[in-house]
Amino acid sequence: MTLSVILAIGAVVLALRLWFRRRGRLTRGPSQARVTLEPLTGDVGLVAAREVRERFRGRIFRVGTLILLAAVAAAIVIPVLSRGHRHPQPVGVVGSLSAPLRAAVVATGKSIGSTVRLVDEANVAVADDDLRAGRVALLIVDGSRLVVNRAIEPTDTSTTARLVTAVSDALGVQRAFEAAGLTVAQAVGLAHAKPVPVTSLQPAPAKGAARTTSVIGLILVFVMLTQYDTWILVGVMEEKSSRVIEVLLAAVRPVRLLAGKVLGIGLVAFAQAGLIVAFALVLAKAVGSDLLQGTAPLALVSLLVWLVLGYGFYCWVYAAAGSMAERQEQVQSLAFPLSLPILLGYVVSLTVASSGSPSTFFDVLCYLPPTAPFAMPVLVGLGRATWWEFAASAALSVVCTVVVAKLAAGIYRRAILRTGRRVGLREVVSRVVG
Amino acid sequence: MARDPRAMSGLLELDALTRRYGAVTALDALSFSVPAGQVVGFLGPNGAGKTTTMRAIFGLTDLDAGTVRWNGAPVRQAERRRFGYMPEERGLYPGMLVGEQLRYLGRLHGLSGPDAEAATSTWLERLGVADRSDSKVDSLSHGNQQRVQLAAALVHEPELLVLDEPLSGLDPTGIDDIGAVLVERARAGCCVLFSSHQLDLVEELCEAVTIIDHGRLVVTGSVDDLATSGPRRLVMRVEGDRDASWARRIEGVTVSEIDGGAVRLVLDESVDTQAVLRAAMGAGRVSEFTFERRRLSEVFREALG
Repeated sequence: MTLSVILAIGAVVLALRLWFRRRGRLTRGPSQARVTLEPLTGDVGLVAAREVRERFRGRIFRVGTLILLAAVAAAIVIPVLSRGHRHPQPVGVVGSLSAPLRAAVVATGKSIGSTVRLVDEANVAVADDDLRAGRVALLIVDGSRLVVNRAIEPTDTSTTARLVTAVSDALGVQRAFEAAGLTVAQAVGLAHAKPVPVTSLQPAPAKGAARTTSVIGLILVFVMLTQYDTWILVGVMEEKSSRVIEVLLAAVRPVRLLAGKVLGIGLVAFAQAGLIVAFALVLAKAVGSDLLQGTAPLALVSLLVWLVLGYGFYCWVYAAAGSMAERQEQVQSLAFPLSLPILLGYVVSLTVASSGSPSTFFDVLCYLPPTAPFAMPVLVGLGRATWWEFAASAALSVVCTVVVAKLAAGIYRRAILRTGRRVGLREVVSRVVG
Repeated sequence: MARDPRAMSGLLELDALTRRYGAVTALDALSFSVPAGQVVGFLGPNGAGKTTTMRAIFGLTDLDAGTVRWNGAPVRQAERRRFGYMPEERGLYPGMLVGEQLRYLGRLHGLSGPDAEAATSTWLERLGVADRSDSKVDSLSHGNQQRVQLAAALVHEPELLVLDEPLSGLDPTGIDDIGAVLVERARAGCCVLFSSHQLDLVEELCEAVTIIDHGRLVVTGSVDDLATSGPRRLVMRVEGDRDASWARRIEGVTVSEIDGGAVRLVLDESVDTQAVLRAAMGAGRVSEFTFERRRLSEVFREALG
């Protein structure tokens, strides 16, 4: 299993390296202009094609992609590997322990998802040594009391703690049966009594696996949105600070230049997102992870939809911010306030994804375009969103994106050519609105 | 001295351009035109409004009033794609390869892929930086960056070339190379407008100049017309004379410079040159007596008062 995981990761890394190396050779050849996105004609297409070319070539993109792939691989593989480490729990037996009691102890182990192996100890001293050395998890002395190495906290939920509690309960019941004078057959019959059925008023909350998928997806959306928006912010700022913007705007209208940039970076972003999701699916299947089963395919689609909508909303905001700065430190002071709604959406959604119980406040966040890209996929992951809720939130996000894009294009047009100092937001907004 | 700008027929016409920044008026109803087939020098002291004017041609600054026309029609984006611009603050993508950058800019200006490819090779070759096609821009020397920047303005064979200080910071070879390209483009029928503070170079390269100050037109005309107009210039060399004290005594004569024994005199209309010659002969043996054209630097200083 471990070998197949390593091989899968190795194959992806090798494929990426070969691809980048091939690109590197092509960029040095004279036919570079024909390599990418030639069918996208017009100045928007040309600007987008340049963005794609430059991003793919950049070290930041390559390293960032590899880090994300490694993180996804770790999130999928580690739970599988740790699941494989469930060794049988050795339980020491000192003195006599009747067959029904032995059977009861083994059955108890099974009931908590563990395997119990009984080890007969020669005497109490040897048994104590084994317990101290960790060779046995607990001792059953004469079938009447249990000994553990360290006292168990009531809040302890480890396998050993659960086993100790369960064995203690089971032995107590068996001893009570014996004290009541029941025969072995009667005692076994009681132990295997059929439980009464349980019905529920509401369906169960999302399964653990689906919930974990939500959390991983949420982290991915957060990392990707932050990364892509930073590309836009820095990309716009660099065009301004390098003064290449004057040369570009002498040939292209500002809104078309901005549209090309957003489109190009968006294409790279979704190529990366697609690669990561495909990698996650293939790897999860290869290692037999249950992370992407159950409600996950729907959650995955919703995640991708909201990644697109989130990028669409925030890219304009970040582009407008980038046009107001021309130095790195100005970018940082602009990026912080912009990241606040992202952080709010992310943190609240993460809490809800972990607890599985959304609040009214969270329901509101699901409909606000700045926080919906984080909140709505979690609601879908928890199986709490109806299709019309999803559609309403998406439609609201699209409408707001159009408004934001118009405002941002106006700010960009005003601010991108203003050099010398950071352009004030009030200044450009008042001009755009006025 | 200022001629009516309408007297010059030009492809590019700037009509009453006005731009105010708060209380500051950068352009004050500025009008002039740039004829085709000529290199036109665009002169003025620092802060006169040259860069604002050039940016206005490309729509890079909003105008409060006025129109930029090309062939009689207001300039729009479609026309601007056929213009070439070299901004004062040089700008190219620092991390992008030179050749790729030029191809990209050529495509943005409407060239097809193969045409952009061919034009890039041609201009890099022509400007002596063909071997840097695969270098990143920020790895180039200042002079080579300047050449690439000019290539970026030229790659799409523009009908109008607007260059803001294209010669600043260049070594003599660079100045010769870029100067030759500007003249060649004008000969090919292109409108060429460039600003510079190096007046001797402007005089050498340009057929016409336009001088502005405080956003207003001061002088515009052909270099020949401007050089032959205005007070006469007389250069005289009198052996043994070092301070031209003999000339200072003549009414209507101003000593503008003394260079290694040669005095350059500015003569009022009323001055009799024979009287000047006699005064010089009285001071010593006259070995040089030459009427000269008004230099562009003199036109500039006299125009700006």
